[in-house]
Amino acid sequence: MNTFVRRAGMPLAALVLVGAVLAVQIANGGGTFEPLRPADPCAERVVVSKSDGIEGVTERLVLLGVDGAACQLGVSREALTLKLGQPGTRTHREIAALRDGLRSAVGRMKEDGSLPLASELVDEALDSADLNGLLKRAIRALPDSFINKALKTDDVLLRTIDDLDLRAILANLSDQGDLNQQVEAAVTQAVKDSLKARLRGLL
Amino acid sequence: MRRVVAPLLAVTVALVLADSAVVTLALPDILKHLDASVGQVAWVLIAYNLVLGLFAVPAATGFGRAQPQIISAVGIAVFAGASAWCAMAGSIDMLIAARCVQALGGALALIGCLELMVEAWGERRGVAVWVSAGLAGTAIGPVAGGLLTQAISWQAIFVVQVPFAVLAVPAALAVRGTFPLVQDRHRPAIRANLTLAILSAALTAASFLLVLLLVEGWRHSPAIAALTVSVVPVAALASRPLARLLRPSPEVEVAAGCLLIAGGLAALAIPPSAHLAWTIAPQALVGLGLGLTVDQLTSRAMDMRLPRAQHAGWTISARHLGVVIGLAILTPVFTADLQNAQAPAQEAIASLVIDAPLTAQDKIAVAQALGDELSQQQGDIPDLHPAFAKLELDAAERPAAAALERDLNTQLERAATRAFRDSFLLGAGLALIALLTVIAPRRRRTA
Repeated sequence: MNTFVRRAGMPLAALVLVGAVLAVQIANGGGTFEPLRPADPCAERVVVSKSDGIEGVTERLVLLGVDGAACQLGVSREALTLKLGQPGTRTHREIAALRDGLRSAVGRMKEDGSLPLASELVDEALDSADLNGLLKRAIRALPDSFINKALKTDDVLLRTIDDLDLRAILANLSDQGDLNQQVEAAVTQAVKDSLKARLRGLL
Repeated sequence: MRRVVAPLLAVTVALVLADSAVVTLALPDILKHLDASVGQVAWVLIAYNLVLGLFAVPAATGFGRAQPQIISAVGIAVFAGASAWCAMAGSIDMLIAARCVQALGGALALIGCLELMVEAWGERRGVAVWVSAGLAGTAIGPVAGGLLTQAISWQAIFVVQVPFAVLAVPAALAVRGTFPLVQDRHRPAIRANLTLAILSAALTAASFLLVLLLVEGWRHSPAIAALTVSVVPVAALASRPLARLLRPSPEVEVAAGCLLIAGGLAALAIPPSAHLAWTIAPQALVGLGLGLTVDQLTSRAMDMRLPRAQHAGWTISARHLGVVIGLAILTPVFTADLQNAQAPAQEAIASLVIDAPLTAQDKIAVAQALGDELSQQQGDIPDLHPAFAKLELDAAERPAAAALERDLNTQLERAATRAFRDSFLLGAGLALIALLTVIAPRRRRTA
């Protein structure tokens, strides 16, 4: 066996083996096997919901709203969601960003046509509303065109967002009943205010 | 007689050196069973290597004045007794104390067995078998420990050592021969021992970190992890034919081995997925490197140096203090990386839950169940299955929930793999430093 093979054979074989293994690992995605990176909350994303009706609208609104708030706060949507899910006090900046985010979300949903007309949500809203049966039947008897003229979904949502005590809601996220109660009260108040404003406009 | 005695002594050498890493795969079980912290349980590993590393040279120095049969028999008996004590330990402090005593006995047994094996087989073969038995024990230790833990319990690791050691005591006493007192004639082989220590530190990444990644990060059973890491000893065996084929000089062989270990550890740092297959080739590189370096360096550190036992003590010391240094360097790095991996993992989980094709109500239920489960499993890489198991979902939603669970587990695997990356790369760096100690030019002696 010549001197070259004795001197260089083994190191060359080692280099070839190491190079081949590293090349195969890297070619198959080695080094990129890392946790999913959070998306940029300021980049527009398509938000879909598997839920229908009010639940679907609420989910999309909240997801877009959290995106907007996260963008304003300079954090990822996921980091903000995890932070809001933890107990603790919320800063004024966080509450303001969340409210702004939700308001912007209403605007975006209106723009992309994903905001349903009020008439499409009335039946479902009445099912859970604390109203007497006669009144519910009377409202259901109203023609859709009348309801849509009297109530604009975006207006009701914006009023609801303004009325909601976000700090109180975030402090008690685990109590689903309490959450529903607070949202329902804010929506009812928003509907009333919207109707009053509409009447005032007509007069 | 020699046919039985000498192999028993070789098995004892393998057992003592296997104990260096034999408990690696049992650490999670020990942690749970003895209600210990991660820091405490690491000392089960550190204590043994530290005591063996610190006691090997003094044991060999004092050894010259006593009969090797007696020293070996006492050492093996202490090792056997301490092994039984380890199996019966009811607390982590007791286990660590027993491991220290086990290492004391082990140090005496290793030094004594070397002299007896040289007496039985002659200088060349005796030393070669002593070195090879040690290498085999080091390589097979984690595999055997993992299989025993899975099949029986972590205590079984220590129980099975007792009968071998008990048989080895009369075997040691049965060796007849003259053992002349040898004065200190040669200085320790600093370069070979230094390389051995640095390489042992690097190999800690392969033996300790890899099994942790497999068991804790990728959630494989100790038996699966044991079978997976068996690639290292198999590849170490394959290194001999390769060396015979290319016939390199000892320096070139060790340098190539260091390079293979560095390359293998670097490849372990970047697996493309959590599939076990991606660890095979990197482990094969580490195993080939192990086979080309450790026995070669040990032989060189002992070659023609007297007193033999003392130089053997230096090699044991270098290897085991190297393991301790490796653990001391790598453990804080990977523990901190594991801690830092929590936030990205949680964000990845949140992202997938938010975007899951589930109804809003089901997403909230999943998030709450995960939150409860994660707060109960603080400090560990979490097992998310209990959170999904207690969900009450419509049949139509179950496939989406199952897909979400799979995706979340993948995210955890990704986070764990990422958390181990720097430690593997650090191990690769240590192997490259070892390579530098091999290729650095020798200082010329002036007349």
